[in-house]
Amino acid sequence: MNPVIIELTLRQLISKRRTLMLVLAALIPVLIAVAYRLAADTDFTISQDGIHSAHQEWAASTLLANLVLATLLPLAALVFGTAALGSEIEDGTAVYLLSKPIPRWKVLVSKLLVAWLITAAFITAVTVAGGAIALAGQPTELTRSSGDVINVGSGYGIIFGFAVATIVGSLVYAAVFVSLSVATSRALVVGLIYVFLWEGVVTRLFTGTRVFSVRQYTFALAEELSGVAPGVFEARLGFSAAVLMVVLVTAAAVWYGVQRLQRFEIGEAA
Amino acid sequence: MTVDTEPKAGIASNHASDETIVLEHVSRWYGNVVAVNDISFELGPGVTGLLGPNGAGKSTILHMLSGFLRPSAGELRVLGQSAWQNPEMYRDVGLVPEREAVYPFLTGWQFVLQSARLHGLADPEAAARHALKLVDLEDAQHRATGGYSKGMKQRVKVAAALVHRPRLLLLDEPFNGADPRQRLQLMEMLRRMASEGHTVVFSSHILEEVERLAENVLVIVAGRLAASGDFHEIRRLMTDRPHTFSIRSSDDRRLATALVGDQSVFGVELDEEWLTVKTSDFSAFTVALAKVARNADVTLFEVLPTDESLESVFSYLVQR
Repeated sequence: MNPVIIELTLRQLISKRRTLMLVLAALIPVLIAVAYRLAADTDFTISQDGIHSAHQEWAASTLLANLVLATLLPLAALVFGTAALGSEIEDGTAVYLLSKPIPRWKVLVSKLLVAWLITAAFITAVTVAGGAIALAGQPTELTRSSGDVINVGSGYGIIFGFAVATIVGSLVYAAVFVSLSVATSRALVVGLIYVFLWEGVVTRLFTGTRVFSVRQYTFALAEELSGVAPGVFEARLGFSAAVLMVVLVTAAAVWYGVQRLQRFEIGEAA
Repeated sequence: MTVDTEPKAGIASNHASDETIVLEHVSRWYGNVVAVNDISFELGPGVTGLLGPNGAGKSTILHMLSGFLRPSAGELRVLGQSAWQNPEMYRDVGLVPEREAVYPFLTGWQFVLQSARLHGLADPEAAARHALKLVDLEDAQHRATGGYSKGMKQRVKVAAALVHRPRLLLLDEPFNGADPRQRLQLMEMLRRMASEGHTVVFSSHILEEVERLAENVLVIVAGRLAASGDFHEIRRLMTDRPHTFSIRSSDDRRLATALVGDQSVFGVELDEEWLTVKTSDFSAFTVALAKVARNADVTLFEVLPTDESLESVFSYLVQR
């Protein structure tokens, strides 16, 4: 890694406009959590069968999984990941970095590191803040009408599990999107298609494709590390498979990005 | 014309006698489009200008020399090594790209200092100060480059490219946007670098820029090396080529008859609107025309050289 490139990329990415947009987007789950907390006046909701849904389930499934992990995280990673190097390739300033005696892998890894850390910092803050607002002071055990006591998981456990999933997910997404931006000038469009079409639709319809969904890796990590009870939040991919795929996909994306950057050519228009 | 691939004796350097740049039958194509076609030349220290019309392949050659394009065929060596996939080469090579873009949020000082730090120089601050002084940008160094004029951006790019004192400096259309004073300063600086033994290669589509700066010229036309060698020889060929003029006068027919008798004219053509005259001697014809017209009692309304575009000049050289 190269400290000069890291410093430069930080300054590039934390532009006023981009930061403002992300802060506004990050406020959405926090505000939703506040609204939920103000509206919910019981510790749990009750169905005819007894306790059907605890606050933990809402916080884990709706707020942290669907809103933060499935939507906000990939979008933030897409914005930062494709801008970290792709914007320089687009406007021609990448030449100033690439015409230096620095191995290309160091350039790519430095860019990836910054994209990852900024994404993780923003989204982890949202996860912790949203989770804390929704779950602070909620009971961890609830009693069914049958008398059974169930553990729905502690707020701390859920926040911890989703925060770790956010940090790991940020890395995988950033690696994929940084490398994508080296491979194509339409990385943003391709990334959006991946997030909304592949992860949002295809992996729901065809179970076999889930192994190629970063979203499913983050869900699996969150479930395992949260310590939530079955039924509160369930991932569709096993923990071991998710860990394996996190390592494989990240390594493959970095390798591919480095290969593409080593063969980087200036277009005729450049 | 014969292609002279020898470097000029007058631009010999302190550096080793090995050629800085060697191209042997290098071609580069994009799909079916051939951008550079079987070019061979060798260059040593001194200033060399790549001259040619837009789209001739000058930038493609510079991009191959700077390691940003892989030759499709042939062999290309810079400082004795392959330029492609060889970042270590940049310890001795500086590149000034044609595109204007710089990091708009960095000041000139930060931009050049960053370049020095990326090169891993022992004293990057001193190197950046020196480079900014060379391009006369000290007064504006603490302003954001986003607010720089085009000429200032060019100069800060040059400063960043030479901050590590490269043996080879490649510049793609470096005088674009520079005002006459900046142009002269930049030329003087590049000449000085060359006199110190550096190899400077720049591209331009403007004849006068190349004439003023380069001792050695490579004329590139349609991806081919049309001519190379001493600029003055190439310039003479360009001036001595046949020229065509379109003329409108009070009596085109009488003027045509009179002009046929002049030694400098070897063809006339008359149509409803224009008299077209072909001459083998540009300067002799321009002197003779007025005399011939006066003697024939013809008034000249318009005299237009019809083939003065750089493209037509270069096409002529290729045909030679």
